[in-house]
Amino acid sequence: MSQVTVCWKWVSVDGGDVDPRWSGVSPADEAALEIGLQLAGAEDVTVVCVGPAEADTVLRYALAAGAHHAVRVDATKAASNDVALAIATLFGDTELVVCGDYSLDRGTGSVPAYIAAHLGAAQALGLVHIDTASSPLRVIRRLDGGRREVLDVPTPAVLSVEGSVARLRRAPLAAALRAKSAEIRLLPGPAAAEDTAQITDYRPRARQLPAPAGGTLARVRDILDIGAAKQTHAETLMLEPSDAAALVIKQLDEWGYLGEQPAK
Amino acid sequence: MTEFDVDVVVVGAGPAGATAATVLARAGHSVILLERGPFPGSKNMYGGVVYPRMLDQLHPQWWEEAPVQRWITRRSTMVLTDEQAVSVDFRSQKWGSAPYNGATAFRPDWDHWLASKAEADGATLICSTTATGLLRKNNQVVGVTTDRPDGDLRARVVIACDGVNSFLAKEAGMYGEVDAANYTVGVKETIALPKEVIDSRFGVRGRHGMDIEVLGGTSGVNGGGFVYTNLDTLAVGCVLKLPKLTAQELRPEEIIDRFKRHPGIAPLVEGGEVQEYSAHVIPEAGLSMMPQMTGNGILVAGDAAAMCLAAGLWLEGVNFAMASGIYAGEAAAESLAVGDVSAKGLAGYERRLNDTFVLRDHKRLHRAPEIVLSDRVQHLYPQMIANSVERMFRVDNPTPKPGLIRVLNQERKRAGLKVRHVVKDTLDGLRTFG
Repeated sequence: MSQVTVCWKWVSVDGGDVDPRWSGVSPADEAALEIGLQLAGAEDVTVVCVGPAEADTVLRYALAAGAHHAVRVDATKAASNDVALAIATLFGDTELVVCGDYSLDRGTGSVPAYIAAHLGAAQALGLVHIDTASSPLRVIRRLDGGRREVLDVPTPAVLSVEGSVARLRRAPLAAALRAKSAEIRLLPGPAAAEDTAQITDYRPRARQLPAPAGGTLARVRDILDIGAAKQTHAETLMLEPSDAAALVIKQLDEWGYLGEQPAK
Repeated sequence: MTEFDVDVVVVGAGPAGATAATVLARAGHSVILLERGPFPGSKNMYGGVVYPRMLDQLHPQWWEEAPVQRWITRRSTMVLTDEQAVSVDFRSQKWGSAPYNGATAFRPDWDHWLASKAEADGATLICSTTATGLLRKNNQVVGVTTDRPDGDLRARVVIACDGVNSFLAKEAGMYGEVDAANYTVGVKETIALPKEVIDSRFGVRGRHGMDIEVLGGTSGVNGGGFVYTNLDTLAVGCVLKLPKLTAQELRPEEIIDRFKRHPGIAPLVEGGEVQEYSAHVIPEAGLSMMPQMTGNGILVAGDAAAMCLAAGLWLEGVNFAMASGIYAGEAAAESLAVGDVSAKGLAGYERRLNDTFVLRDHKRLHRAPEIVLSDRVQHLYPQMIANSVERMFRVDNPTPKPGLIRVLNQERKRAGLKVRHVVKDTLDGLRTFG
């Protein structure tokens, strides 16, 4: 893989504030760079980031870690498709684009798809493993319900990796020092979109549970004791050991500790 | 011949490190300022008052840009017993305008600002990098190792500003045996309240704020409490002597909780939402625990040199850190200019410390930490003072008012204080604070 482009989304976690202390990129974005570096050996990895001047901080971080070039597309609040088009135009001849599967603000994840469309490239999302030595690239994709899909990806391609696939290598001291004054290519970006999607704080999706019944105490017990507290009475039984064992197992099964019983 | 990467490496971009780097960069030396956190101040534990007078020379008109929370215009010292509180309350509107006296500040803001000034002057700040040890050659410190790959950094002078429990100063052999009794643990909650509520509860307006230092209220553990006003939060906490803390059952967070429920404190904090809880070790013993300040190729400044003044009436640290940083920077620049970075060449640092408030205050008040944290001052005097004041102001008609000396004497006895103890403590107090 000679040419790899890594796309980072710079996000200020403090809303409108662009203070570098409260901004950065997601672990998935960092993982994308690490995968890029592993794939390309030492050939040509470019990190491109869309953002204001403050985003240079993360680009210097990328350069310190080993990226060969850094490009900042000077834009804020641009529409996903405009961003993707700018990147695709710039890196039309790239073999592989690697993105994080999610950004720090948990955006829509649409930029990688748009880039793939503009480049006419294959796309693989939600990757949990990439065999960086394989050719064609063999990747594993997360599916619903704990299932996995193994894909062989042709080039050109756009990959979106989860944060767990790799941990970005630590920058050597000399590289960290060099990166302080390294050149960052600046490109004019698309104008701010007139009606960008309103991105709110990330919240995991709620699980639906039936409304608890009964009084306050019963409801608290329901939540805290997972049903065990429903056993409100105690009694002493005199049983044969085998019957006692059977009763204990029956009770544990009722409480749900035993899972599915093996077929008899 | 060792090749150096840089003239000076300053370890730790806190108030000491940032000022040292500024002085050296201005003197034309190459300086690398190493910071363990992702940005200076990111540890974010501090809650207290910064006295920035030392910045008048370094950054004239610093108050126009320094990120402060509130300028302290009201200062109260409070003595608590279980049900009583005696306060000495002082207010000065003068402290609320330039050149100001002290201010509460968030260290992620303060340190970030101070380090950005060093960068603007030409120092190179490298964050997320921990200095893991010293490089040495022929009994001379010639740099540091860091936790980055190929992380050795060779420097003519190392200034260790790596905070309390400085590993670098210890590795350089500058500390004697470490005694836990020399340390306290500071525990603090940041409690959010609307600005208007803080303004009205503490009787301050605008950017003015209050600083309350408390003797007692720490559940019998020797130490003290504090309440500082930030703009829309309070820093509330306790400072607890380590051996006393470990000798009893209560955990520090329980001690804060009890402190917050004291009738003298509860009305100040009620309704607030706890946003943070944090704890930090404080070098409390002053002069008696200080390390050797200068070695061959190395200087120690700030908390790393135990420059925390915990003298009851005065509780200061950041100002000592900034001053020692400035003096370390000046001394290093001086020694680099003449090409002698041995301990002898760097001796200008200790001379500056000795000639200024940094060590003069510590020398004068060298017994203060011991007095303030002593069992009598912690447990017996608060009872005697509070009970005496209670009797002084209590109207016991038809019994006529008692004489104050008689009241004090009776309450002294009731608190279990012997005359010779009071005489000794008064003399000690006068000798130290007088």
